[in-house]
Amino acid sequence: MHKKIAVQVDDLTVAYNYKPVLWDIDLEIPEGVLMAIVGPNGAGKSTLIKSILGILKPIAGSISIYGKPYDEQRKLVAYVPQKGSVDWDFPTTALDVVMMGTYGSLGWIKRPRQKEKKAALEALEKVGMLSFKNRQISQLSGGQQQRIFLARALVQNASIYFMDEPFQGVDATTEIAIINILKELRKAGKTVIVVHHDLQTVPEYFDWVTFLNVKKIATGPVKDIFNDDNLTKTYGINYKVSIQE
Amino acid sequence: MDLQEYFSLVFSDYTLRTITLGTAILGAVTGMLGSFAVLRKQSLLGDAISHAALPGIAIAFLITGAKDSNTLLLGALVSGLIGTFWIRGIITKTHLKSDTALGLILSLFFGFGMLLLTFIQKQPNANQAGLDKYLFGQAATLVESDVWLMAIVTGMCLFVLLLFWKEFKILLFDADYTKTLGFNTKFIDILITTFIVLAIVLGLQTVGVVLMSAMLLAPAAAARQWTNSLAVMVFLAALFGAFSGVFGTAISASQNNLSTGPVIVLVAAVFVVFSFIFSPSRGLLFKQIRFIKNRRDLELHKTLAFMYNIAETHDNISHPHAIRILNNFQGFTRKTLRKLVDKNYVILQGNMWSLTEEGFKTASNLYNQQSNNNE
Amino acid sequence: MKKNIFILFVLITLFNCKSDKQDNGKLNIVTTTSMITDLVKNIGGEYINIEGLMGSGVDPHLYKASEGDVTKLVNADIIFYNGLHLEGKLVEVFEKMGSQTKTPIALAEELDKSTLIGSDYFASNYDPHVWFNIEYFKEFANKVTSILSEKDPINAVNYIENEKKYLAKLDTLQGKIKAIIETLPVEKRILVTAHDAFNYFGKNYGFEVVGLQGLSTATEAGVQDVQKLAAFIIDKKVKAIFVESSVPKRTIEALEAAVKSKGHEVSIGGTLYSDALGNAGTIEGTYIGMFEYNVNTIVNALK
Repeated sequence: MHKKIAVQVDDLTVAYNYKPVLWDIDLEIPEGVLMAIVGPNGAGKSTLIKSILGILKPIAGSISIYGKPYDEQRKLVAYVPQKGSVDWDFPTTALDVVMMGTYGSLGWIKRPRQKEKKAALEALEKVGMLSFKNRQISQLSGGQQQRIFLARALVQNASIYFMDEPFQGVDATTEIAIINILKELRKAGKTVIVVHHDLQTVPEYFDWVTFLNVKKIATGPVKDIFNDDNLTKTYGINYKVSIQE
Repeated sequence: MDLQEYFSLVFSDYTLRTITLGTAILGAVTGMLGSFAVLRKQSLLGDAISHAALPGIAIAFLITGAKDSNTLLLGALVSGLIGTFWIRGIITKTHLKSDTALGLILSLFFGFGMLLLTFIQKQPNANQAGLDKYLFGQAATLVESDVWLMAIVTGMCLFVLLLFWKEFKILLFDADYTKTLGFNTKFIDILITTFIVLAIVLGLQTVGVVLMSAMLLAPAAAARQWTNSLAVMVFLAALFGAFSGVFGTAISASQNNLSTGPVIVLVAAVFVVFSFIFSPSRGLLFKQIRFIKNRRDLELHKTLAFMYNIAETHDNISHPHAIRILNNFQGFTRKTLRKLVDKNYVILQGNMWSLTEEGFKTASNLYNQQSNNNE
Repeated sequence: MKKNIFILFVLITLFNCKSDKQDNGKLNIVTTTSMITDLVKNIGGEYINIEGLMGSGVDPHLYKASEGDVTKLVNADIIFYNGLHLEGKLVEVFEKMGSQTKTPIALAEELDKSTLIGSDYFASNYDPHVWFNIEYFKEFANKVTSILSEKDPINAVNYIENEKKYLAKLDTLQGKIKAIIETLPVEKRILVTAHDAFNYFGKNYGFEVVGLQGLSTATEAGVQDVQKLAAFIIDKKVKAIFVESSVPKRTIEALEAAVKSKGHEVSIGGTLYSDALGNAGTIEGTYIGMFEYNVNTIVNALK
């Protein structure tokens, strides 16, 4: 299968105060995969995503999206940050947050109008949060907040989605709803990259996986790569896992 | 002076009118901008910047020997901006958190400023510049030109705010996400901060270095309690700030020996305390009332549920029982019983009670309701 | 602040660091306000070393001692200051020095208190701006002479001679002033300034004196103060109001704007020297020159 490469990472190195957090990462993410990035705490998973998206500055390395530098391709990429990175006591409603997803295409100064509102409402419906549209975000549960974040990304109509621990602190119903949406995205030909904390669900949810622990340990299809050998290399303990087809 | 006198005076008397206008405009602009500082969790930014402005005033005097306030305020602006950039630099380049950086710059700059002031006091004509007055402000000496300057700055600020409203909102809420959308977050950040510094510098003459931080903080903190919309919050903050200016000036003008600056700050503080206690959704008073009500409802429900369990075991749900049985139930009180009677859930006859149809139905639905509420 | 000064003071005394004491056998005198400095210079002449802490245009109400000042004070043989809380921020410094047997002399406090003007604001309850009464200033001269003579008996005869000459000059000044003021009609003798520095002047020469800020420049003028004073100016048809050299102009300018907004003519008649003399080397840099300048300015503006 010779798919297009959606995201190419070359020699990416990131350090905080001379301590390496990501070291010499080479990564090719083909188009249309639903990929999990796994690794122990401090492995650099969030850092990887943030560096690709330009939120953090690497010491070395380059990123390209469909062969072009990330800066030129922003419209194709959507980001769902960790829930905890935001203060949910901010005075705004669920609909308002989702509409923020339209700001990128609006550019400077232009205000969101009917068209943007419609897109936002559709996205809310897709994640099952339409009835909450005027709810103050501090009144939302963890799962609901996560859905709002997802809706915000969906509104962007991107080709590539980066998500940072979307299943963390989320109820079972929400988890199922989210993974279904992600699978739909994959079916539609989108590329979805997820920092994932729960090894148990990797084979069930994802078809591609990257093992990360400051260095890239391995990357590829789950059926090939998700094995005891790589798990031990990444986590350092003996894992026994069975892979279901 | 009484209210009527005040109203006629505020339009006719130059001094009262000028100071009221000046402090109202100042209050409005610091309220607006303060909202952004507060939401960014940089509430003490105002404090740090106003203290950082002091050496600028002193140095402006030393360099130019000028005694007019515009030159000195320019010095304050430069020094305030430098302080702001150093704060940002400290936060990004070291592991220190925001509050540490603010505290550092505040004390460093202010100490340096005070040092310069003691050095300057030996210079001839230094006191004509009134450098000391920048510590606490002297609102009573505002003149029309000061008010015009404040009005212009406020106008510019309002314009910029409206223009870049969505950019400010998204940057405040989720800075990382904003970056990925392609917005130059540095530019937006600097824009907000520059206006904050500008507003502070303008306020120095009125309220002084020491009290300026309160004007940036208090109206916004008060406004937050009343709304869940950013736009309404900013508007309310401007309103509270403006009224602090107006009332503060009115109160200090009605008495002898009441400095205007501190009174304005006190009025703003009253707004804050009032908001924290009385706001419907977040205020302490209503939270307490809701808490008590919930607790009472819980008692009621539990008692009813207990009675339901007893009544259930009979074919006739309205079979009377002795009140004495209820004494076994720990949550039971006569008062609760009376409330149940009032609601027509229970009928009392002598020392016997029995559930009504309505009571029975309500009780059986109790748990269903609760499970609905939990979702 | 006061604690810092005290600790500094103790450290300096203990470690006896750089001595500014001039070892030429002359008395080392330290003075505070430029008026007192001028006086002591006139009496001590070349027989003393003198160091004045406050220069021209310096506000004694707000002046805080620096480390250098404290060193000077410690090394002084005699300290002359005004007292009655004029040097508001130096009070503790002087009190501590008194207890170290340095005996600073508060010239204004030597006067007969029953003749002084009272005040609600000041701790010692008297208006300290006593130098605007030339008779009081003569008493200052007496005290200075006697102290100098006591500490330096060899030169006593010189000090007394200098004092005689100076007192004569003060008498001439007194005569001149009276003459100039005579040319101003009584109903125009209203003096409006930035703070209440001129009460003694007013009492002696028949002026009604009103200051915007009260007895100390440390107070803040309130809205009511400006309004009341504006009303007063309009009512009494005052032609001119006065800025002071050691106080910010803003306050008087605000007052001027308030009066003009009501359609009345008033102008700033000039800058008066209130709590400090003019620049050294100029005529206004001496007490006598300053006094004459003030009176001329006042009378010319109000005529």
